[in-house]
Amino acid sequence: MEERQYDLIFICRPDTPEADVDKVIATLEHAAAEKGGKIEAVNKWGRRRMAYRVQKLREGYYVYLVLKSSHGEVVKELERRLKVSDAVMKYLTVRVDEELKRQDKLKRHRERRAARRPRKAAMATPAPSPGSGEQAAAQA
Amino acid sequence: MADENAPVQAPPSAPAAPSGPSGPGGPRPQGRPGGPAKRGKRSFVRKKKVCRFCVDKADFIDYKKAEILAPFIQERGKILPRRMTGTCARHQRWLTVAIKRAQNIALLPFAAEL
Repeated sequence: MEERQYDLIFICRPDTPEADVDKVIATLEHAAAEKGGKIEAVNKWGRRRMAYRVQKLREGYYVYLVLKSSHGEVVKELERRLKVSDAVMKYLTVRVDEELKRQDKLKRHRERRAARRPRKAAMATPAPSPGSGEQAAAQA
Repeated sequence: MADENAPVQAPPSAPAAPSGPSGPGGPRPQGRPGGPAKRGKRSFVRKKKVCRFCVDKADFIDYKKAEILAPFIQERGKILPRRMTGTCARHQRWLTVAIKRAQNIALLPFAAEL
């Protein structure tokens, strides 16, 4: 099965010491490796205000991870660990590889179009119109 | 513009005339103060709204950036409809998904707190 990419965000209680947050991240990395996945990036957003109260708290310590794995067992295991961890209030896993693929495709498509357009624009310029470039291209 | 059109459409007036006063003349709620709500003979000149994501040529909408999603929700937390924001269909589709994800991780509210 092809490799999938996930965004993994979790929120710790704001009073968690930094060391404990690191410990949670370390256990996740370990668990991921054990199950055949890999945590590619760790990004601590730090304390920030949440949009609504969670466990009667208004702030939380956000951590953002990028996970790559080829089977869903890894996600299951990581979510289980997040659930049992006392420091973690909330977590979210989002599969993003398909969106990234789509984004890539659109980007390539646009680049191809951009590469093609100059010729059309050059043909249109001899008869300059006050309208926009797109109009000129459409007429050409 | 409205002045130019009016004489052309006016002569075959019999069916057109009733629609004139009732349509735009009525107390129609103007959605936003976006355009110069000029009252012509029978039409408002409304500024055309364009999709903000198309302008930016956005290939995806990041649910992690709450600040770019925030303008597309109401104060109470509802997602604004396309007709209010001018977002194109495709980007609105992506936008709703992004907003819902952001809500799940407390970046955006589900509903305003009291």
